[in-house]
Amino acid sequence: MIRLYHVSKRYGDQSALNDVNLHVAKGEFVYVTGPSGAGKTTLLKLLHGAIRPTSGKMLVGGIDIAKMGSAELYQLRRNMGIIFQDFKLIPRRTVAENIGLALEVIGTPREQIGRRVAAVLSIVGLRGRQDELPLTLSGGEQQRVAVARAIVNDPSIVLADEPTGNLDGAMAIEVMEILQAINLRGTTVLVATHDAGLMQRFPFRVLRFRAGRLSEGGP
Amino acid sequence: MSTLPHILRRTRRSLLENAYLNSVAAAIIGAALLMMGVYLTVQVNLNALVSTWNSDVHVSAYFAPEVPESRRFLLRDELAKDPQVAQVRYVSEAEAAAWLSSQVEEVAPVLAELGPGVLPASLEVTLRSAEMSEAELNTWAAGIQSAELPEVDYGQEWIDRFNSFLSMLKALGAGLGVLILVAALFVVTNTIYLIVYNRRDELEIQKLVGATHGYIVAPFLFEGVVQGLVGAAGAMGGLWALHQILFTRLAAQFQMGAGAELLFLPPEMLATLALVGVLLGVGAALVAVQRFWAQAA
Repeated sequence: MIRLYHVSKRYGDQSALNDVNLHVAKGEFVYVTGPSGAGKTTLLKLLHGAIRPTSGKMLVGGIDIAKMGSAELYQLRRNMGIIFQDFKLIPRRTVAENIGLALEVIGTPREQIGRRVAAVLSIVGLRGRQDELPLTLSGGEQQRVAVARAIVNDPSIVLADEPTGNLDGAMAIEVMEILQAINLRGTTVLVATHDAGLMQRFPFRVLRFRAGRLSEGGP
Repeated sequence: MSTLPHILRRTRRSLLENAYLNSVAAAIIGAALLMMGVYLTVQVNLNALVSTWNSDVHVSAYFAPEVPESRRFLLRDELAKDPQVAQVRYVSEAEAAAWLSSQVEEVAPVLAELGPGVLPASLEVTLRSAEMSEAELNTWAAGIQSAELPEVDYGQEWIDRFNSFLSMLKALGAGLGVLILVAALFVVTNTIYLIVYNRRDELEIQKLVGATHGYIVAPFLFEGVVQGLVGAAGAMGGLWALHQILFTRLAAQFQMGAGAELLFLPPEMLATLALVGVLLGVGAALVAVQRFWAQAA
């Protein structure tokens, strides 16, 4: 599903990722971990096309995304769900509207959006909360809305950058359980985290980064 | 599956959520179009005025005093046969003096004291051809000039001067129009930029969930169209009100002076104004969104 060959990313003189090779199989659940500045977020940003590698080849679903033009990135992102530590929800939009956004951009009819949103709200345990505004929800609930948005169009990959970073223990576990459930349905999940407790509780393969290099768990 | 219904819904929503900024943008477009409309209205009326003068050309050909009256009638009849001439009227010295006395009362005693023959007799010619060019008129007038009719006056010098003035006014108007449009584009762009900036979180998320560039930009362009149309409608309303209130007060005076009707802008010019408004709104939206992306990158 994801293959990286000698991928490096530099910001001027600073090296964020250095000669990374890795392979994540379809349907796999993988942690990306390491200390701050190790390159976890850089890797995820590369995978969803927010930044471009300085060198190397990146295959996602067989397509070299390093060669993709910025105007073609939408094709990659429509097959990918992205979850952030700060949720990235639109405060003026209801829960349903936030989730439905991923379907609106691909032109899904409204009635169909309503049905799909209701379905994912059930999966993330927020049934009946579709008309509420994000800021009226708890942190854990907001992150579950973000998860719902990430999976509403049935992506083959979900990328989560510190999805539990702003949540307390119980809420973090709830979110991880949802991600695990998504993975069990066949979705490839990459979670960037430095929460060792969560990794112990939900044991999956760990890709450990140190100073921009993959030090453990590769390729 | 079509994204158009979603785009239109988002446009409507943004128009309502940013009603104040959208109104400001529309008002600026409207003000710019109103200024252009006022200028165009003046231009249209001046053009019509000149056109009226040109289509109704009167020529006065003055007799030398020694030409006997019988010869004057002969010359009148010859001129009447000219296919370009619609009408010729002989005005004797006495008739000329009487006419001037009736127009300017203060002159009457002076003319009476000086006696007959102070003002020359003339042939007052109305030309038939409205399509006569300036050059053709000059040639025709030169053709009837002779020792018997040494002076031919048709106010061409004044018309030429007025035409020069109109040309200058057109150039000045074009320059000012461009300046107004650039200034309006600048202000509207900044106003729309604020709308884009207000929605920056939404735009970022749209990109992350796979929206195309066109999907993200389209609502702003539609908003630009609405701003342009609303601005144009406001400008036309304002223009109509100005035309009714201000210009109609002067209408009688204009008609008396020059025989021209006071005109409102023709439909094609109104349509052009609306188009300029729409282009202004859409152009400003494009510039604002591109600027936003450039700064966000």
